[in-house]
Amino acid sequence: MIKKVFAWVDERFPLDEMIKHELTEYPVPRNLNYMWSFGFLAMFILIVQLVSGIFLAMHYKADVGMAFDSIQHIMREVNYGWLIRYLHSTGASAFFALIFIHIGRTLYYGSYRRPRELLWWTGLLLLLLLMATAFMGYLLPWGQMSFWGAQVITALFGVTPFIGESVVIWLRGDFVVGDATLTRFFALHYLFPFIICVAVAIHLVALHWVKSSNPSGITLHAKDNIPFHPYFTVKDLFGLGVFLIIFFGFVFFAPEFWIMPENNVPADPMVTPPHIVPEWYFLPFYAILRSIPDPLGGVVAMAMSILIFLAMPWLDRSNVPGGAKFRPGYRIMVYVWFVDLMVLGYVGAQAPEGIFVLLGRIATFVYFGLFLLLPFISKREERRSRVQGLPREAERLIREEQEELLRSEHYLRRENDEKELKNIRKRLEDES
Amino acid sequence: MRRLLVLLSAVAMFATAQGVMASAAGALKMVDIDSSEQARQRGAEIVVGTCMMCHSLKYIKFADLKEIGMKEEQITALLEDQDIDDRMLSLTPIEIRKESYGKVPPDLSLMAVARQKGPQHIYTLLTDYYYKSAEQEETDNHLFPGIKMPDVLAYADAESDDERAEIEAQAHDVASFLVWASDPSAESRRTIGKYVILYLIILTTLLYLLKRRVWSKLH
Repeated sequence: MIKKVFAWVDERFPLDEMIKHELTEYPVPRNLNYMWSFGFLAMFILIVQLVSGIFLAMHYKADVGMAFDSIQHIMREVNYGWLIRYLHSTGASAFFALIFIHIGRTLYYGSYRRPRELLWWTGLLLLLLLMATAFMGYLLPWGQMSFWGAQVITALFGVTPFIGESVVIWLRGDFVVGDATLTRFFALHYLFPFIICVAVAIHLVALHWVKSSNPSGITLHAKDNIPFHPYFTVKDLFGLGVFLIIFFGFVFFAPEFWIMPENNVPADPMVTPPHIVPEWYFLPFYAILRSIPDPLGGVVAMAMSILIFLAMPWLDRSNVPGGAKFRPGYRIMVYVWFVDLMVLGYVGAQAPEGIFVLLGRIATFVYFGLFLLLPFISKREERRSRVQGLPREAERLIREEQEELLRSEHYLRRENDEKELKNIRKRLEDES
Repeated sequence: MRRLLVLLSAVAMFATAQGVMASAAGALKMVDIDSSEQARQRGAEIVVGTCMMCHSLKYIKFADLKEIGMKEEQITALLEDQDIDDRMLSLTPIEIRKESYGKVPPDLSLMAVARQKGPQHIYTLLTDYYYKSAEQEETDNHLFPGIKMPDVLAYADAESDDERAEIEAQAHDVASFLVWASDPSAESRRTIGKYVILYLIILTTLLYLLKRRVWSKLH
C-alpha cells in the first residue's frame, strides 16, 4: 500500500529523487566535527521561534495600553502560556548564540573561501535579517528597555545626511516611539521570519551545490564523503539532544536570566532608565557605535562592523589550503578577533565612562585593524608556507590520518570488505 | 579542548557582565528567600493589610492565593469590599494616592523581578529606614534616599534587637510572597523541567549510542 502511494507520488513529484539527492546520497565530508552541527541547530531553533511566536501572537495585543498586560495574561492565564513565552524569549538568545558559533566556525575554518562566497553572503544576509527581527520583537513586551532601546536605535537613523529627521519619523510612524511604532514592529516581526525562511532556503540550495566544507579546508575525494543520512542525521540529532538539555535547562530553571529586570517595568516615556543596555547579542556592536565620538561615524562604524564580513573572501588573499588550522598567522588573528569581540561585548554593557571609553576605542580599533591587516598577513603567510612547507600541525594531522587509515585497513581485512579495502589502499598510496 | 575553553570563557564573560550589572544595584542585604507556603501566606497577609493601602497587585486575583495553600476562609478574612474573584487592587482612590506621592505607587505584581536581585531589593528597602535626626521626625532610606514611601513596617522606630528581628522577618515574608506573585507558575515550571531534562538525558544518551552504532560501520 505504502509503496503504491509513493509510486503514485513519484510519478507526479520527484520525492524519491529529492530524498536521494538531499539526504540519502548527499555527500558530506566524513571528518566534520560537532562545530558543523550548528547550522542544523539554528534551523531547529528557527522552527521553535516560528511555532512559539505564532501561539504568542494569538494572545498578544499590539497596543501601547495593552501590550505589557497581555504578556502577563500569557504568563498567568493562558494554558502553558509561560512555557510558550519562555521558549520564545530564551529561543531568541539561543538563536544568536548558535548563529555566532556558526559564523565563528566559518571564520576559523575558512569556510567563506572559494567556492563558498555566495553561501557566506547569504549567511550574512540571514544574520542581518535575524538582527532586525530580534530588534523589532524586543519592542513588543513594551517594557522600559523595549521602549528606550527602540527609541535610541531608531534615533540613530537621524544621522542620515539631509533627511535624517524625516527618516526617523517615517520609521516610528510618529515623533516618538508610540502606538504606531508598536503595531508596525509587530506586523514586521511577524513578516520577517517568512523572509528568513526564504533566505534559509537559498542558503541551503547554495550549500547543497558547493557541499559542506570540512576542518581540513581541503576538498576531500569522493571516497571520503559519506551520505548525510544516516550518518549526519544521527550525529546532528545527538547534537540536538545536547543543545536541548542546555536550552530547556534555561527555559525551565533560569528563564529570567535572559530577561532584563528593567523590562519587567512597563514602558514609561517620562522616565529614562539609568543606562540603556541592549540585549547581550547586540552589545559588541553597541560598543563600537559608542566608541566613535561622531554620531554619523558611530552609525557607519556599527554598520561596517558587520558588512565588512562581506569582504572576507577578498581580504583573505592566501592560497594556503585549509582554515586557521594550517595557517598560524590567520589563527592568531581569529583568536585575537574573538577575544576583542568579548571585550567589546563587556564594554557595551557598561556605562560609557572612564576606562570603558578608552577600552571601547582600543577594541574598536583592533576590530577594524584586523580586517585591514588581513590582506597583508594572509599574503605573507602564504609566502612563508611556500618556503617552509605546511606547518608542523598539518603534517601531524596527515600522519594521524594515515595511521587511522592503516587501522581501518586492518579492520577491513578482518571483515573482508574488498571494495573499501581497495579504496583505502589507493588512498594510502596517494598520500605517501 | 581548546574549543571548549573558548566556549567556557564566553559563558564566563556573560556571567560576569550580568554580575557587574547586578553589583551596581547598591548595598543589598543578601538574604535567602523562604519559599515555604507559610512564609508566603504570612507575606500575603502583610501585603494585603499594609502594602495594598497604596499599592495594587493587578495581575493577581484574591482567589489565586489558594495556590499558596490558603483556605477560602483565610482569603475571605482578608477581603474588605472586594469579591474573592476580584483582582488585588488597592481600595484607596487613585487621586488620593497620586496626591500623596506625586505619582501612583508602582504595581507590586512584578516587583520581585523588576529590579536586579529583586527579592533582596524588597527586603533591604523595607529594613533600611532610619531617622534623619535625633528628633525622630523624618525618616529616610539608605537603599533609596529620598523615597516617598513611609516606613510602613516601622523599622526606624524599633528599639530593641528583638523588635528589629521581628520586622526583618516580616520583610522577609513580604519578599517571599512577592517572589511567588511575580511568577506563580515557577514551581510547576521547575517540576515539569526536572522530567523534561531527565527525559532529554536518556534520549540523548540513546542517540549517542545510536550514533556510535551507525558510525561504527564506517571504521
